[in-house]
Amino acid sequence: MIKFALAGNPNCGKTTLFNALTGATAHVGNWPGVTVDKREGVYKKCAEPIAVLDLPGIYSLSPYTPEEVIARNYILDEKPDLIVNIVDATNLERNLYLTTQLMEIDVPMVVALNMMDAVEKNGDKIDAKTLEDKLAVPVVAISALKGTGIKELMNRAYAASKRKREGISVLGSSALSKPISDLTAALAKKQVDSPLFHAVKLVENDEIEIKNHPEEYKLVREYKSGFSDDVFGDDFEAIVADERYKYITKHFAQAFVRKDGEKVRLTKSDKADKVLTHRIWGIPIFLAIMFVVFHLTFSENFLFLAKALPEGWVSLEGTWAEGLFGSADGIASPGVILANLLNLITGSISGAVSGAMQGAAAEWATGLVCDGILGGLFAVLSFLPQILVLFMFFSILEDSGYMARVAFILDRIFRKFGLSGRAFMPMIMGFGCSIPAMINTRTLADEKERTATVRVIPFFSCGAKLPILTAIAGGIVQFFHVSNADAITYAMYIVGIVTAIVTVILMRSTTMRGETPPFIMELPSYHAPQAKALFIHLWDKLKHFVKKAFTIILVSTILIWFLSHFSFGWNFLPDEQMESSILAGLGKLVQPLFTPLGFGSQLGATGWVFVVAAITGLIAKENVIATFGVLAACLGFAYDGDADPNGVLAATIMIQATGITIPALISFIAFNMTTIPCFAAVATAKAELDKRSFKWTLVFWLVTSYTVGTIIYLVGSWWWTVFIFLAMIAAAIGGIIVYNKKRDAKKLSTEAPIK
Amino acid sequence: MPMVLAPEFKKLLITRIFADEKLKRHLENLGLSVNSEIEVLSKSGGSVICRVKDGRLALDKQMATKIFVTVKED
Repeated sequence: MIKFALAGNPNCGKTTLFNALTGATAHVGNWPGVTVDKREGVYKKCAEPIAVLDLPGIYSLSPYTPEEVIARNYILDEKPDLIVNIVDATNLERNLYLTTQLMEIDVPMVVALNMMDAVEKNGDKIDAKTLEDKLAVPVVAISALKGTGIKELMNRAYAASKRKREGISVLGSSALSKPISDLTAALAKKQVDSPLFHAVKLVENDEIEIKNHPEEYKLVREYKSGFSDDVFGDDFEAIVADERYKYITKHFAQAFVRKDGEKVRLTKSDKADKVLTHRIWGIPIFLAIMFVVFHLTFSENFLFLAKALPEGWVSLEGTWAEGLFGSADGIASPGVILANLLNLITGSISGAVSGAMQGAAAEWATGLVCDGILGGLFAVLSFLPQILVLFMFFSILEDSGYMARVAFILDRIFRKFGLSGRAFMPMIMGFGCSIPAMINTRTLADEKERTATVRVIPFFSCGAKLPILTAIAGGIVQFFHVSNADAITYAMYIVGIVTAIVTVILMRSTTMRGETPPFIMELPSYHAPQAKALFIHLWDKLKHFVKKAFTIILVSTILIWFLSHFSFGWNFLPDEQMESSILAGLGKLVQPLFTPLGFGSQLGATGWVFVVAAITGLIAKENVIATFGVLAACLGFAYDGDADPNGVLAATIMIQATGITIPALISFIAFNMTTIPCFAAVATAKAELDKRSFKWTLVFWLVTSYTVGTIIYLVGSWWWTVFIFLAMIAAAIGGIIVYNKKRDAKKLSTEAPIK
Repeated sequence: MPMVLAPEFKKLLITRIFADEKLKRHLENLGLSVNSEIEVLSKSGGSVICRVKDGRLALDKQMATKIFVTVKED
């Protein structure tokens, strides 16, 4: 099969085109760096099927970030039959800079002028024909979003892929044409592929090329010694960049005709940025938007109307929809209504199943199906609506282009912690799922910043951890009659964020020392979110979640049920005798370890349930509450899983049975939030980090969660211990500062003699 | 003058860039090289948003102090 590679600047629409070509549903977003890995699909509407490859966006073939290396290596090593260079027509000159480099490779190429609809909307014009004559490769105007021009693009690309093409350079008449042509000849003699491209890169002092062709690089050095430019001296890479841009402005930019002559206008995006990235208002606006998003998703008191409404009018008492749209506490927010609706459905299913099985099947079978399978599964599924709603809001914000601005306004704050604003994107993605978030750290150019970010991503509590928060918070409110469940949930999110900040500062001033990398980010134009892209996102998320619920979570709930209903001698145990089950035995073994965190030995005989729940969370975090559901039914309390879709009752039973205290419960949530994440996330971290730092990452997670849990439990139980911790923290800070000072002094004294 | 101090909405020319090799190359790839024309669109606490070619680029304070510009005379 012939292969076409899609190459272009970040956020120029490669993935949108890829989806349009192959029918795939790859994630697209309106900020640079959504695609961080290559992806393959098949286009079938030509004479023969064509493999289409989506690559991460690149500004140049001299890579700066890890994801850019992926794109460069593919283009050079895998030798696609053709490169489709996608060019964002609204920023023509900058995009053509990459084009001038791609042109130097001996591979057929077509240019796809994307976002032509946006250009025309501005009243500007681009003459594709003029551009085609100047570039000497086919140029086709398309709109990947609307799907126009794609057929023509592929037909011309297919035809072009059948013809051989030799690289051409725009540097032919520049001051450096002599060394380039000499090197090209030398490399061609050595049978190197694309000699022109490698020659130019050598002249540009490209690190990778110098390593590969040390002999030829001597020639460049020789030439350099006898060369001087008025502006750039002997800085060849600057000269090359300058020459490229000059050539583009002189020859290619004529194809672009602005509506009102040369004047650059203040666009709508610029005007919006005046407000949204404002020095003072930027951050409050961001916080307000976040509050609205969470309010719409989780609030049981929508718009705080509870007090203003006559009592009882929304609860629809006595009808089938009782409590669906709200309760005495207020109107439910859209997210809560959806969750209630799903619970109504799952509740009636499990009611029907248990009704049918009661008496008709063996006791253990009824237990397995109703408590083990349905109880665990529905406990997990009941969070799906709210996770989807939250995800939808984030997708809208991302697609509009706002998230890139947030990265910018938060950069000033992140800098204080030793990170750049770029790290914001993976972190906010962490609230959805740690896995894509960890992969996305590839947009960070600095290795140490990247490792530190991967490590703290799990602290940004993901969708699967949400059930732990809401169920236990609900349990606390119901059992102890204190506080407000929403408040506890929000507070736990903040505990996670604070833990992340503290550990980042700690890492950046000890093991992950280094200068804060510079923040350089393109801000895309705002545009209205695309309904189609949004639904594709949501559908993918839904599929992922349901698949997980019916595979790994289903298997583990069944496993937990078996382990908790059989003794080591393989005898079936009724619920009351769970104390002697295999699971209880294993749990009791490790239980003492958690004593400082408040859910260890002090809980007595039934305390192992918390330990077991935390351990099952290592498989998938949803399991923690699913395990509660399974175990609650077994602890000798009357437990009806159907009436308890959110696991609140299960948590309450756990509290009642074990006598656990509030600080210990909070410590339990914090431990689960900050400890080793689920298997899938651990595997991702392993793939993204080098071996050594991965091992330390596991240690880091364990130590952090154990410490955070201990501090919360001890301070919560005996408030005066706060002084002990403060003293310890002060000592640690002092120690680090002194150590770093000494280290800097040492460094200076060793560096001084060289100067 | 460094870019942080440059006036907004004026055509500027880059005169010098102080950065290590790798970073400078990245800036050049983005269109920020000596003699190229830019325009500061907004500044917030030292961070700068500028127009480079037809795109918008956001830079942090340290970066913006290392790029020197002069106002382009028409």
